[in-house]
Amino acid sequence: MKTDTMRTFWKRSGRSGVSLPLLILMAYVLLAVAASLIAPQNPYDPLQIYAWEASSSPGTAGSGGYTYLLGTDGLGRDIFSTVLYGLRISLFVAFTSTALAALIGVTAGVTAAYTGKWGDALIMRIVDLQLSLPTILVALIAIVTLGPGIDRIILALVIVQWATYARVTRGVAMSEAAKSYLDAARLLRLPTRRIIFRHLLPNSIAPAITLVPIELGHAVALEATLSFLGLGVPIDKPSLGSAVANGFQYLLTGQYWISLFPGLALFGLIASINFVGENVRRRLDPRSR
Amino acid sequence: MISAIIGRLSQAFLLLLVMSVIGFIGIHSVGNPVFNLVNAETATPEDIRRATVALGLDQPVWHQYFRFIGNVLTGNFGTSYIYHLPAFQLVMGKLPATLELAIVAMMIAAPTGILLGLLAGRRKDRPVDRAILRLSVVALSIPSFWLSMMLILIGAILTGWFPSGGRGPTGALLGTEWSFLTLDGLRQLTLPALALALPNIALIARLTRSGTIEVETQDFTRFCQAKGLSPRRILFRHTLPNISVPIVTIIGMQFGGMLAFAVVVESIFNWPGVGKLLIDSIQLLDRPVVMATLTFISIAFVALNALVDLFYVVLDPRTRRSA
Repeated sequence: MKTDTMRTFWKRSGRSGVSLPLLILMAYVLLAVAASLIAPQNPYDPLQIYAWEASSSPGTAGSGGYTYLLGTDGLGRDIFSTVLYGLRISLFVAFTSTALAALIGVTAGVTAAYTGKWGDALIMRIVDLQLSLPTILVALIAIVTLGPGIDRIILALVIVQWATYARVTRGVAMSEAAKSYLDAARLLRLPTRRIIFRHLLPNSIAPAITLVPIELGHAVALEATLSFLGLGVPIDKPSLGSAVANGFQYLLTGQYWISLFPGLALFGLIASINFVGENVRRRLDPRSR
Repeated sequence: MISAIIGRLSQAFLLLLVMSVIGFIGIHSVGNPVFNLVNAETATPEDIRRATVALGLDQPVWHQYFRFIGNVLTGNFGTSYIYHLPAFQLVMGKLPATLELAIVAMMIAAPTGILLGLLAGRRKDRPVDRAILRLSVVALSIPSFWLSMMLILIGAILTGWFPSGGRGPTGALLGTEWSFLTLDGLRQLTLPALALALPNIALIARLTRSGTIEVETQDFTRFCQAKGLSPRRILFRHTLPNISVPIVTIIGMQFGGMLAFAVVVESIFNWPGVGKLLIDSIQLLDRPVVMATLTFISIAFVALNALVDLFYVVLDPRTRRSA
């Protein structure tokens, strides 16, 4: 069943070609990877920042021999460069935490479904508890507990997200575990670990894959929100969220560009991820065809 | 039915217990609140010792936790280190502002979302449907803090129609101050309420749309059409009641979510509610207030979900048997 859905997915994506949101998302990743090559300024290097050119409006010519395309922020950092470097941090945090959360969640879900009994009960109770609270609240509690820092925020996002994967995967794995090919595997006396990871997991993973883009979008938004509240990444190496936060106090005095452009970049990133996720979901959901 | 209620309550209780442990440890691991009371540079060791004893921080951690739990059960969250007021009283004092914001936001979001969803569902795969679906993805992609800032930029700075923050004048009703009773208060309320409402409009619209599509294919809708009822009557008298259960669920859950998301919107619009109190207290290391706020938001959320479950029974007779 599930291998069929995977096959349909690949076939359909081959037929319809690459969508615009996917192209935009790939462009974002490329920009983040090549940030140090494209950005005219390294915003983390104080020697490249001209403090007297703080809060210049977009298009102002800078002392570094390049134009501040999107203006500068309150510390004199080029907004264009800050956005590129911030993109790097935002994407790094989101990809790492989503990958870790998917790995942990899927493993926990499959293990819970296969072993059953108290292991299942324990894991699923934790999942139930966590999913009964709004994500922003779980994230706030986690980050208040863990403290600030990039590694902490990745950990906090993993804590927030693993439960969704675990619940979804467990549901599928439960029905797969009752099928005869797993009885066959058990009768062959294959080791439990081999049954779980070589037989059960590949057949239960499809719904978790549809979750990945959705959760990736959530991760970007959550990291940005926590950073905006001053609970996320450190202020000297801003992610897109903290770059927007830096501009907040200047917004009221009309220096809109400091928060507008990083915010636009963030919005475009989340929107392209969400549209990709929507397409993936629609392709895998036979009812919407 | 009764066993289901008991099961729900015990799960809710367990949830709150786990929350309190995590929250307590969390607050405990962040900074030393003694330096809120004494000046870090001029304090003598004797001053620091006295402040530590006064805050009860000289006791072992588990001892502090049990004392904290005992106090919570008696409604006593301790005294704020900063405001020198009972923490619980402080949270309750901020509650009307948050509640008002969330209620107004939901009063905007629910009707708009349901109408858009019905419209999209009726015209499945037509341009209107596609537009609403796309717009909903866009609306759900805007980070709430940036949406708030752009609302300030457009609604306050560029046009000057609305104030950029604060709560403004309030009118008294039932012993509490409310913004919606004065015209200026309503203007203050508009932007933050819109910021909270927009993602929820999208969410409710999507849910209503998929519900409408599902119901429209069922036999009783055909029957109504065959009977010659007007499309409008079918939509509002037959389709809408049949999709009301998931809609009420999402409204209840999102209302709880609004209480949590108010943290972001309130700190941007400088709205003096529970969320702003939480962020301020985290930054000021005001442990009792952080604990009281987190506990309060969790209890409110858990209680709301339980209420929604009970409301099902009223809305959908079928759930009476299974419950």
